[in-house]
Amino acid sequence: MSAFAFAAPAVLAALVLLPAIWWLLRLTPPKPLTEVFPPFAILAAILKREETPARSPWWLTLVRMLMAAAVIFAIADPVFNPRANTLASGGPLVLVIDNTWASATDWQRRVDTAAALIDDAEGRDLPISLVFTAERQHDAGPVDAASARNRLAAAEPRPLPADRTQALAALRTALDGTPPGTLAFLSDGMAAGEDDDTLSALQALNPADFRLVTGDGLATVAATAAVNGADALSVTVTRLEAGAARSLPLTAHDARGRPVAAGTADFAAGETVATGTIAAPFELRNDFARVSLDGVANAGGTYLLDDGFRRRRVAFLSGEVVDPSQPLLSPLHYITRALAPYADLIEPSVADLSVAVPELLDQNPSVLIMADIGRLPEEAQDRVRRFIEAGGMLIRFAGPRLAAAPADDPLVPVQLRKGERALGGALSWSEPQPLSAYPASSPFAGMRAPDGILIKRQVLAEPTPDLAERTWANLADGTPLVTTGPLGNGRLVLFHVSAETAWSNLPLSGDFVEMLRRTVQLSRGGGVASQAGGAEQQALPPYRLLTVNGTLAAATGEAKPLAADAAGTIATFDNPPGLYGTEDGYVAHNLLPPGSAIRPLAVPEGVTVLREALAGKAAWSLKPELFTLAALLLLADCLVVLFMGGAFVAARRRPLRGSAAAVLLAVMVLSLAAAPALADDAKPGDEAILSRLDTTHLAYVVTGETEVDRISERGLAGLTEFLTYRTTLEPGEPVGIDISADELSLYPIIYWPVSATAAMPSSAAISRIDAYMRGGGTVLFDTRDQFVALDGSAASANTERLQAILATLDIPPLEPVPADHVLTKAFYLLNDFPGRYAGGPLWIEAQLDRAEDPSRPARAGDGVSPIMITGNDFAGAWAIDANGAALLPTVPPDERQRNHAFRAGVNIMMYMLTGNYKADQVHVPALLERLGQ
Amino acid sequence: MAPVGETVKPTPTREVLSRAQARAALIPDCMVEARRLANTVIAGWHGRRKRGIGENFWQFRPYVDGESLTNVDWRRSARDDHTYVRDREWEAAHTVWIWADLSPSMMYKSTLALVSKESRALVLMLALAEILARSGERIGCPGIMEPIAARNAAERLATALMHHAATGGLPDTRMIRGNSDIVLFGDFLDPVDDVMARLGPLARRGLGGHVVAVTDPAEEVFPYAGRTEFTDPETGERITAGRAETLKDDYARAWAANRTALADNLRHLGWSFVPHRTDRLASEALVAVHMYLSGMPATLAREPGR
Repeated sequence: MSAFAFAAPAVLAALVLLPAIWWLLRLTPPKPLTEVFPPFAILAAILKREETPARSPWWLTLVRMLMAAAVIFAIADPVFNPRANTLASGGPLVLVIDNTWASATDWQRRVDTAAALIDDAEGRDLPISLVFTAERQHDAGPVDAASARNRLAAAEPRPLPADRTQALAALRTALDGTPPGTLAFLSDGMAAGEDDDTLSALQALNPADFRLVTGDGLATVAATAAVNGADALSVTVTRLEAGAARSLPLTAHDARGRPVAAGTADFAAGETVATGTIAAPFELRNDFARVSLDGVANAGGTYLLDDGFRRRRVAFLSGEVVDPSQPLLSPLHYITRALAPYADLIEPSVADLSVAVPELLDQNPSVLIMADIGRLPEEAQDRVRRFIEAGGMLIRFAGPRLAAAPADDPLVPVQLRKGERALGGALSWSEPQPLSAYPASSPFAGMRAPDGILIKRQVLAEPTPDLAERTWANLADGTPLVTTGPLGNGRLVLFHVSAETAWSNLPLSGDFVEMLRRTVQLSRGGGVASQAGGAEQQALPPYRLLTVNGTLAAATGEAKPLAADAAGTIATFDNPPGLYGTEDGYVAHNLLPPGSAIRPLAVPEGVTVLREALAGKAAWSLKPELFTLAALLLLADCLVVLFMGGAFVAARRRPLRGSAAAVLLAVMVLSLAAAPALADDAKPGDEAILSRLDTTHLAYVVTGETEVDRISERGLAGLTEFLTYRTTLEPGEPVGIDISADELSLYPIIYWPVSATAAMPSSAAISRIDAYMRGGGTVLFDTRDQFVALDGSAASANTERLQAILATLDIPPLEPVPADHVLTKAFYLLNDFPGRYAGGPLWIEAQLDRAEDPSRPARAGDGVSPIMITGNDFAGAWAIDANGAALLPTVPPDERQRNHAFRAGVNIMMYMLTGNYKADQVHVPALLERLGQ
Repeated sequence: MAPVGETVKPTPTREVLSRAQARAALIPDCMVEARRLANTVIAGWHGRRKRGIGENFWQFRPYVDGESLTNVDWRRSARDDHTYVRDREWEAAHTVWIWADLSPSMMYKSTLALVSKESRALVLMLALAEILARSGERIGCPGIMEPIAARNAAERLATALMHHAATGGLPDTRMIRGNSDIVLFGDFLDPVDDVMARLGPLARRGLGGHVVAVTDPAEEVFPYAGRTEFTDPETGERITAGRAETLKDDYARAWAANRTALADNLRHLGWSFVPHRTDRLASEALVAVHMYLSGMPATLAREPGR
C-alpha cells in the first residue's frame, strides 16, 4: 500500500501543457500605461525605435510556471496514506471499542477508524456488532451499517476505566457462537487489571481476522496522587509506556478553574512513575482545587483535591465590647490583622455569649479563638467542649478577665494559678521578660529566634510534670507563654498574654502572625466529617463530576452517592470521578486511586493479532496546501507586475498627491478608529465640586432671611481675609449652602446662624446634617442671642429654635470649652471666644475621659468636636464690607473685642483642620526631654 | 495607476475672462514703450514722459528763435526777462497684437499642474489685453480681431475668440501692418526651425515680439515610470517606452536643448522669450511680459549682437 497516491492521476497529463504556457508567458509583455504627451516630437527624437518587446524576466516566468504546476498538482489531489478495503468476509464485523478516559484525546481518530471499518463492512454487506467497554449497558447484537454509524456517533468517551468483562459477556451472548469475520479491537492500550485476559477471550471467539488497533500509548499519562508537603505540593504521575525521558508541566487550578501555580514532573528514561512538585506559598496552595497535566486533556490528567487544602475558618470571641473607633485597643484587631490573609474569619453578630457561641459554631469553624474570656455561660461552655472534642481547636488569649476567672475552667490546657494575676500578685518582675528559643517539639520550631519581644504581664501555669511537653513557647525565665493540650479529638491552645498590647508587644511582632498561622494550620479543615461528629459514615451525593476532558461539570443523574468508605477506590460507572458532598464540604473521588499504576495491554502467548495504527492521519490530502501555494505565487506575481509597471516608483515621485493623500486619509481613519474610547463618566456639577475641593471654602447655612445671610456671607468673608492675612490657610470665597440639597461633605465646618424667624429646616435636611456630623464635619451653631439672654429670663426664640433643631440630632454631651482644651491653643492663646457679644460660652463636645493633669497644658483628645454652639454672633463681629471696614459695631464698641473674635475664628478653623495636632505639638519639648535620657 | 497627463476640453472664454481680469488687477497699467514712431501710433490718452502733442503740461523751456510766437506762454514769460514756451507731454497709443495658441497640444493638463496650458494661455492673453486696454493701447489679435483702442478691449477680444474657430499652431500674420508689438502665448513644441520660419519674416518687418512658452510641468520633469505608451495629441501618433524612468535624463537634455535653441533664435530676432510653467502663478508670466513691454529690462531685447 503506497503512502502517496493521486486521487485523479489523469489530470497530471496537463503537465505537458507547461512548455506551451512557458512560450506564451515569455511572449506577452505587460500592458503599457497610456499617456498623452504633447512634447511628442522631442520624446520621439530620443526614443527612435521601440526597444526590444518587453519580455517577462525568466524568474517571473518561472514563478508563473510553478503556479500553473501547483494548480495542476492540486487538481490531481495527492493523498497520503490511502486505505484499502481489506475486510475479511464470512462473518459479522465485530468492533470492540474502548471509550475510556485514555481514549478521549484521540477519540475522533478512533471514531474515524471505526467508521471506515463500518464503511468497508457496508461495502461487503456484512452485519456489524459494536460494543463499547466503558458503558453501563452493552448491546452487542449485529446491526446494519446505518444504525452502527448512529451508535458510533452517539458514543462518547467516559472518564472511567474500561470494564471489558461485561462487554465481552454481552458480545459472547450476542454472537452466540457465530465466528466473526473481522474482529477489530480499538483499544486504549491499557490493561484493565492485574491479569487482563481480554485478548485471549476475544481470540476464543474464533475471528477470521483479529486486529488490535491502538493509539499512541506514549501519550497516556495519568496523575494518581497529590500530597501537600511542607513547602510544595507533590504530584505523582504515571505513564503507560516507559519511553524516553519526558518532562510534563503541571498546573494547579483554583476552585474557579484559574491556573494559580505551575510545576513540572520529569519522567526519567525507562521509568513509568514520576513525582512532580508545585512549589507555592502555603496560602496559595490553600486555593488549589485540582492539579492538571498540561496538554493531557483527559480525566486521567486531572487530579482533584478536596478539603485537605481548604482555608481554615476561624471564629472570634472577645470578652469586651468592641469599640470600633478605637480598634487598636481591641484584641480582635490584632488577631484579625494576623489571620486575615490565611483564614476565613467569622465574628459573632451579638455580644451575648450564650447566643454568639452557638451562632459561631453553627458556621462550622475549624478554630475558635477566645480573647480574654474568663468564663463562658454553662450551655455555651458545653457547646464549646463538644466542638473541641469533635476535633475543633480552641485558641485562648489571657487577659484581666481570664486571670480573674476561677481555676477550675476546663477549657484551658494547663492548670492556672488560682486567683492569681500576672502582675500585682505573686508575680512581679523587675523588668519585662523576652522569649527564649522555641522548644524543638513545638510547632513554632524553625521560626526565626524571637527577638525584641517583651512580656510585661502573663498568667502563670501551675507547675506540673507534663508542663514542659505541653509548652510551645517559653519566656526567658522558663515560664510558659504558649501551652497546649488535647481535649477529645481536638486541641486547646492558650497564649498566656493578652492579644493586645497592654500586656506585651507580642501582638505587634511578626512572630505573632507566624505563631497564629502555624497554630491554625494544625487544626483540621472543617467539613462534613466534623459536622457528622466523625462517628457515623454517610454517603455523599455527587456535587461536581469530572468530564472526560478533565474539567468539572455539574453532577448528572447517572452518578450515585459515594459511600464514605469508597473514597480511595477506583472510579466506577456508579461513582464517576468528581467531587462528592456539598459546596461546604466535599470529598474528591479521583479516577485512579493513589498508588495505582497503569499497565500496557500485553498480547498473551497463543494469540495472533494484527496490530494496526489508528486511521485519522490517513486521509491527508495535499490539495489545500498546493492551492495555497498557487495563491501565494499569484500574489507575488501581482506584486512583481505592479512593481515592474512602476506603481511604487510613481507613488514615490508624487508624495503629496493622490495616493499619498489616500494613505494619509487611511491612517487618519485608522487612528481615529483605534483611539481608545474613554468612558465619559462626568456628571453635572462635577466642575463645582472640583472647584470646592481644590480650595478650602468656609460655608454657611442659608437661612432664607436676606439680612442674616448677608451678615453670614460678609462675616465669613472677613474671617477668610483675616485667615489669609495671618495664617497659611487661604480659603476661597465663602459659600452659602442649602442644607437640604447641596453636598455638605466638601466643607470642614458649616456656620449656622440660628434664626427663629427663618423657616424650620425639614427633617430630611436635619438628617443630612446628622450624617455630615457623623462623617467628621462640624457645625457651628450661632444663636446670636447673648445680648438678648442677658436678662436672665427664659431662653430666647433663637435658642428655642436651636433646641428644636437639636432635638432630632444625635449629639454628644456638651461642655463649655475647658481652659486646657486644644481649641484655646490651636493658633492663638485664648481665654474666651467673643463675637459681637462677649461673655457667652462656646459649647463643644465634652471629653469624658477627662484626667486632670496639671503638667499638660493642652488635653489631647481623639477627633474633633462635631458640634459647636455659641450665642456671641461671630459673623456679626467678622463682617466687613467691600472696603474692609467693619459692618456692625461690637457690643460694647471695642475694637479689641473684634480682634479677639477674629482670633477665635482662626483658632476654630485651625482646630477644624488640624484636630489634636496642636495638643501633641505642645508636648514636643517634654517628649524630647524624655527621649533624650 | 492613473495616467499622469490628460487631454482637457477647451476652456469657456467667459470663465477665462473673469479669471484674467482678476489676474490683471494684480498688475499695474502697462506703458508700452513706443519707441518706433510710425503710422500705427495715434493719439491716445497716456503720457510718454516726453514732450510732444498732448493736453497736459510737461515743461517750460526758453523760447528759441524761429518758433511760432503762438507757442510762447506769456503768463510765465511775464514773470522775468526771458521768454518761455510751454511744452506739452506727448501722449500716444501703441498697437499690441496678442495671440494665443489654442491647438490640441495646448489642451493638456497633467496631475502636477493646476490648469491646462490652454486655460493658462487664455488667462494670460486676456489679462494682458485688460492691462493694455487700461493704458489705452490698441489691441488686436491676428486673424481674429482688428486693433481697437477701447476700455473694454479685453471683453471684446474674448467675444471675438468665442466666435472664432480654434487657431492653429502659429498666428496668421496677414492683418499685421507696420511697426507694432506682438505677444505670442503658446507651447511652441513644433520643431524650432518651423517656428522660426514663421516668426522670422515678422521680425524682419520690424515687429517687436514677446514669446511666452506655456509648459506643463509634466513636459519638463517627465514623471513617468514603467512601461508607458505616449500619444501625440496633435497627430495621434504612438510610441511605447519599455521603462519610461530610464528616459528621464535623456529627455531632460533634449527638452533643455529645445528650449535653449528656441530662446536663442528668438533673441537673435530681438524678441524676448518668457518660459512659463502652469504650476506657477499666472501673474509671474504676466509681470515678465509687462516688464518687457514697458521696456524695463532697458532695451535688452533691441541691442544688436545679443
